[in-house]
Amino acid sequence: MFCWELRSLPDSFRILTYYLKEVRMENVLKVAGLRKFYGGLEALKGIDFEVGRGEIFALIGPNGAGKTTALRIVATLLSPSDGKVTFLGFDLKKQPEKFREKISYLPEEAGAYKNLKGTDYLKFMAKFYARSEKELGEFIERAKDIADLGTRLNEKAGTYSKGMTRKLLLARALMTKPDLAILDEPTSGLDVINALEVREIVKRFAREGISVLLSSHNMLEIEFLSDRVALIDKGLILDTGTSEGLKEKYKARNLEEVFRSAL
Amino acid sequence: MNKFLNLLFKEVKELITLQLLISLLFTIFLFYFIGQMAKTEMKKAMRTQKIAVLNLDDSPFSEQLIGNLKTANFQAEMVKGLDKQKAIDDTKATDTNLLLVIPQGFGQSLETQEVKEIETYSYLRTFSLVGSRSSIIINAVIRALNEYLSNDFIKKKIPDFSPEKVKNPIKSRDFIIVKDRMAEGKPEAVAGFVSSQSLFVPVILAMIIIYASQMVISAIAMEKQNKTLETLLTVPISRTSIVTAKMFASGLVGLVSAVIYMFGFRYYMAGFMGDISQAAAASGVSGVMQKLGLTMDTRGFLILGVSLFIAILVALALATILGVLAEDYRSAQSLLMPLLFLVMIPYFISIFSDPKTLSLPAKILLYAIPFSHPFLITQNLYLENYSAVLYGILYMLAVFVILILVAARIFSTDKVLTMKLKFRKKKVML
Repeated sequence: MFCWELRSLPDSFRILTYYLKEVRMENVLKVAGLRKFYGGLEALKGIDFEVGRGEIFALIGPNGAGKTTALRIVATLLSPSDGKVTFLGFDLKKQPEKFREKISYLPEEAGAYKNLKGTDYLKFMAKFYARSEKELGEFIERAKDIADLGTRLNEKAGTYSKGMTRKLLLARALMTKPDLAILDEPTSGLDVINALEVREIVKRFAREGISVLLSSHNMLEIEFLSDRVALIDKGLILDTGTSEGLKEKYKARNLEEVFRSAL
Repeated sequence: MNKFLNLLFKEVKELITLQLLISLLFTIFLFYFIGQMAKTEMKKAMRTQKIAVLNLDDSPFSEQLIGNLKTANFQAEMVKGLDKQKAIDDTKATDTNLLLVIPQGFGQSLETQEVKEIETYSYLRTFSLVGSRSSIIINAVIRALNEYLSNDFIKKKIPDFSPEKVKNPIKSRDFIIVKDRMAEGKPEAVAGFVSSQSLFVPVILAMIIIYASQMVISAIAMEKQNKTLETLLTVPISRTSIVTAKMFASGLVGLVSAVIYMFGFRYYMAGFMGDISQAAAASGVSGVMQKLGLTMDTRGFLILGVSLFIAILVALALATILGVLAEDYRSAQSLLMPLLFLVMIPYFISIFSDPKTLSLPAKILLYAIPFSHPFLITQNLYLENYSAVLYGILYMLAVFVILILVAARIFSTDKVLTMKLKFRKKKVML
């Protein structure tokens, strides 16, 4: 009965109700019993995790562990075979479009439209989120600030280096200040200096209240960025905790040793 | 902010590349160039032709023959001397393409009713239209001369009879019946005119379908190749809008490209055929066509337009599905092949055959291909087979609805990312 009433309420009121009931517990994203099959292959075998507001939550694991599948499901690209994913009270299966309004996804291997100039690309993406010209302007200014590409933004994205493209895409992902940023290997292809800058930007946005769900192979990056870490292997989460907590638990010097011990 | 328009503008911007503009401009230039060249060559062929004449006979009949050649737009250059071989060699050294040898006793043999051969030597220096033109005309001149001589003979021998009546005692009056209308005229002229007019419809249709399909397949394949599709699928816009925007943009750019292409094609055809309607008016075919109701009115053109439009939609929906199967731009080009076959089969059948004469399985196959219907629509409209036109349009609409539902379904599920047609084993990112 309560569920029926909740469904019938307007979205804004539902979010407010959700904040009153759930946000004070800080968990905006809830993933429970998530499973995913690709034909006969079970890529995710029932994983559970939660991400709080302004929290940076990282999934670490070897290739083929299921990190990208989990991120793609939360990003509404793939549909879960089983389990439940909710964000700000919205059910992923029932309201994927509500998810898309509030999230931003940066895939590991992503590109920009080669025939569009950097600014045109940002404007094109911003128009899907902006509710007014003023907001559109704000988004673009913020993106320019994050991308830090100067006059190169007036050139076609096809002429950009891999690092420049990555910064443009990160700017696109964060310019709207989404409620949840899903970042798959955010510093992939960046040099040391650019990678450092990107980590600082992600950290800054998280401090402003953006929740971040990320995956990375770079354990140093994970230690620097994440508030909590989930160790994932063969579609299962082996353990979850803070970097320091996990290191203490497994009596390890770094996350690499933690992961080896947890396997 | 209109999200759909935003997406549509982006798609159009992405499709109109410098390469596309250059290839279109090049196509127009090429067609214009070929058309102009053909026109020039045709004019050359119609101009006064130079021929060399070796007259070994010195009779009024041979003089008359030479005189007739002059009136038939030939410039006869007389070869001096009486040596045939020398005349052949000498003419070879000039730019004259034809040597006419009037044999000795030509005039006398005509008087005694003996068949005498005149010899023509054609120098094939080119295999173009101009190369064969002079010998065709010379044959026409000889036919005319034969006509004149035989008439003259009949007049002398049977003065009370008209030579025309003697030679052609039976004449025919030709009538053409189309449905419930009848008109006097030559059926081959009318059939030739209708087919020459309908020739353009399949060409336009094939061009538009191929251009638009290639656009949409490439647009989706490029999203995959440039790794932009995943990002696009996570923005707050419905998957149906993504599919529709791609189809609309591709259809629009495909249509404009095809129009530009056809503009060039017009120059090309004009070079070879001249103005069809003027030719029809001059030969009197247009009057017969009107009497038979073989003219397309505004309603006919409207139905034709609707049919073409739905065919384009079908092609775009099919291309969208094929585009999803493509892994990158290169594989997208290979995937265009089945669609090309679906267009080319009815295209050739509509030009070279009559569907009614096909076997039942071939007929079923032809009508099952949605693109067959617009190819056959011009003839059906001329013959007022409106039920065939209507069924064709309804069938294409049904196919379009099914295809668009399939395309939207694919885009709203994992299949848009996981569905691939490749020779290697399917790989998924975990």
